[in-house]
Amino acid sequence: MVKQWLWRLGQTAVGIWLLVSLVFLLSHLGPVQGDDALLPAAGDLNTTSTPSSFAQRQATRRAVQHRLGLDQPVFYLSWQPATDTTSGCWSWHGLSNQYHHWLLSTVHGDLGTSLGSREPVARQLWQALVYTLPLVGITLLGTLLLAWQLAERLAMQPRWQPLLQAALTGLQALPLFAIALALLLLLANPSVAAWFPPYGLGQATPAELGWGLWISTYAYHATLPALSLMLSVLPAVTLQLAGALRDELAQPYTATAYAKGLSQPQVIRRHALRNALLPSLTQLTDLLPTLVAGTLVVEVVFALPGMGRLLVQAATTRDYPLLVGGVLLIGTARLLALLLADVLYGWADPRIR
Amino acid sequence: MKHLFPLGLRLALVALGLVAGCTSRPSKEPPIRVRWTRDPESLDPLLLANQYATEAANLLHLSLLQVDFSKNDFSPALAEALPTVTLLGDSLTQLTYQLRQAAAWDNGQPITGHDVALTLKLMYCPGLPNESARAQAGFIRSIRIDSLNPKRFTLTCQGQAVEHIQASGDFFILPETVLDPQHELRPTSLSELQKRPPTTPPDSALSRLARRYLAAVPMPGSPAPALGCGPYELSSWQKNQTLRLRRKTRWWADQVRPRPFVLQAQPRRLEFAIIPDDATAALALQHGDIDLYPQVSAAQFAQLRASETTREQLAFYTAPSYDIVAAGFNTQQPALADGPTRRALSYLFDAAGLLQATQFGQGLRTVGLIHPNDQRNYNRSLSLLPFAPDTAALLLRRAGWQQTTPRGPWQRQPKAGARQQLRLRFRYRADDASFETMALQFRAAAASVGIAVELLPTAAAALTPNLQAGDFDVYVRLIKGNPFLFNFIPVLHSSARGAGNFTGYGTPASDQLIEAIAAARQPAQRSRLLQQFQATLRTDAPVVPLFFMATRLAASRQLAGLHVSHLKPGYLVTTMERKPASFPTP
Repeated sequence: MVKQWLWRLGQTAVGIWLLVSLVFLLSHLGPVQGDDALLPAAGDLNTTSTPSSFAQRQATRRAVQHRLGLDQPVFYLSWQPATDTTSGCWSWHGLSNQYHHWLLSTVHGDLGTSLGSREPVARQLWQALVYTLPLVGITLLGTLLLAWQLAERLAMQPRWQPLLQAALTGLQALPLFAIALALLLLLANPSVAAWFPPYGLGQATPAELGWGLWISTYAYHATLPALSLMLSVLPAVTLQLAGALRDELAQPYTATAYAKGLSQPQVIRRHALRNALLPSLTQLTDLLPTLVAGTLVVEVVFALPGMGRLLVQAATTRDYPLLVGGVLLIGTARLLALLLADVLYGWADPRIR
Repeated sequence: MKHLFPLGLRLALVALGLVAGCTSRPSKEPPIRVRWTRDPESLDPLLLANQYATEAANLLHLSLLQVDFSKNDFSPALAEALPTVTLLGDSLTQLTYQLRQAAAWDNGQPITGHDVALTLKLMYCPGLPNESARAQAGFIRSIRIDSLNPKRFTLTCQGQAVEHIQASGDFFILPETVLDPQHELRPTSLSELQKRPPTTPPDSALSRLARRYLAAVPMPGSPAPALGCGPYELSSWQKNQTLRLRRKTRWWADQVRPRPFVLQAQPRRLEFAIIPDDATAALALQHGDIDLYPQVSAAQFAQLRASETTREQLAFYTAPSYDIVAAGFNTQQPALADGPTRRALSYLFDAAGLLQATQFGQGLRTVGLIHPNDQRNYNRSLSLLPFAPDTAALLLRRAGWQQTTPRGPWQRQPKAGARQQLRLRFRYRADDASFETMALQFRAAAASVGIAVELLPTAAAALTPNLQAGDFDVYVRLIKGNPFLFNFIPVLHSSARGAGNFTGYGTPASDQLIEAIAAARQPAQRSRLLQQFQATLRTDAPVVPLFFMATRLAASRQLAGLHVSHLKPGYLVTTMERKPASFPTP
């Protein structure tokens, strides 16, 4: 058993390495390079002096590339296209290439530094995670507990079931940005109801306010972002689990459970839930990468400094070390979530092991 | 639903709001809070990543000369006056500066020519992100400090361009006492560093300089000592969230009387809130969480102005901007290589309609790259280009183009070379709806005369590389300008092809004219040349200036002293104050 899981972990590690290597190589092969953002703006009339000629600009570019190590070959080998005098061929560059240096640093736990700010990538990712993890983690946990409660009640088919089911289905059809903007415009709008602050997580630090007040300020500011996330995740999880529970309650084995004198909630919790969980487990483990990837839409609408914005910023400014570091983190979370799904499947249905 | 949101929970939320609301109102004067759309990313004075980084650096540091928003020109800041200019032969300029007597670092040490020399040497120190700074100040070949008066120094510059005066004072001065306390770099001259091959490994003095510099540059989340001699120091920086600055209690310029405009610094505390979404920023302004919302979009501005609830609470400002929206043609494409074809296609842009549709009419149409408010230089003999597809078709025929069928494609057979077809690829920034509107308008107008246009919406970061590579036929973009620079070499000179001259335009005559404008020292002479240049651009039509943008700001009425400017970022934060009655006294 241990050997089997070690094998799976090894496969996951190889998967992560392949994924990140692919992102590294693709990002370095695109037409827009990381040093473009570091060169003086071209084509404007508002600076006193810019490197105006092509030659001057190329010299500046070469200097930037040299400082950042971007003048080295990207990979161990590259394809040299045919010229007038030579035919195309593969060229070997040895160990002095960008990929090799990046791989060695990563194996040693160094994700490099951001091209623009020169801030260590690991530090930037950690600073964003400090905001993303608690917000998304607590929200998802709360959402799942709520979804579980709702699904149990829906499975019992009360009178209000069609109404709630229709409401959840309608909510599921709404994209996250629509939910977030609607909450913002309804509950943080002085023209309607300014019950909540429109942005941020409170500007004061625990040292300035004390932990108690800081937590209440944080919770007050986090209410709308958390509610947006909750409303976008809740319908899918609830409807799926409720449907699976209803299917299980129609199975003959539940008749035996009822015959033993169990109430419907007891039948659900002791017998039907475990069998109904299988599809939901995949759904839940799919949400886990969100913990580290953040939710861009909510972060933009409520101006939260999370992982989503950090990575989009890295992509738009072609800050490849940061981008690759982020992909490494999210890819790891994704593949570990798949591994976790396999483990949970085995727990929920031992026949799968 | 009662089960889901019981009364207790609702009461808890209200209580939470009350507690948090009370705690968020400090008893002392609140900071002036300004909205930014993105993080400054770096506060490294050698590499300012974006407009916000520049804005913050202007508060933390000072240059010899600073842009004076009251005059729309450069004024002395650290320097006592504009430099004395001496022309040497026909290729060198000497600029002599005298620093203000009061100018001093935070530790009381006077700011001298040695600090200026060290700052220039930093631009050639290996391992630092100084490539852009080096390219911009590379014309300064040497610095000589007066041995009797270290506050007086002379820069020797390559070339005799008028802009050298402004450019020679337009970089932040950094302290030698912090970066080179042992004066190890003093024996090394600037020209020695300039001649040093970039691949040579740094010696120990340069390595130590680079290490000290990198340690002194602030990073998000970590406090850093004040490196600059500007009025503010960094209080905190939370990436993608806030940047807070506080006024130095003892700043050298407080002794300067009378205080020049560029050395004003009224607010005690400044807070820049990074809010990417426009709707959120508008609500934050209405909610009182921010005091100033600069660069408001036209639609948002109109919406805020129309709102009954915000009209009493907010003040609205507009000012002309020197940023111009312009279309450009790739003159290196055979079909667009001749002026008559480009001029014909210019008539397919509905500049008036686009100004109304994208800017709600706020902005100014123009005949060229000179602002219509520039009475001296704007060419009033030229008329605004009308939207006239029929004229475009007529001019195309005159340029040798023919349609095989009434609505068919346009073709022509040049005297030499293959038959040409008029099919256009239109590139623009995908993240701005205004540019998409312009692209769609042009495509519709072109279709009405039988020209096929393929739209190429492009990510912002990829636009410049694509334009530099010539991968387009027509583009539309924003050209940033300002009122005191008339150097068109980076944009329209043939030497800038592949760099900032995206259109690839440039004839011997136009190059000569552009060079003459850059070198003109007398206003009358420059005015005559600029008028001629506008007429040449109209004839050759490598670019089609559509309109100058407007700057729009919305601010809380609690703010006083808001100075709205034509120049970026459109306001001056250092003159702002909160009206006395607007905050509780402690």
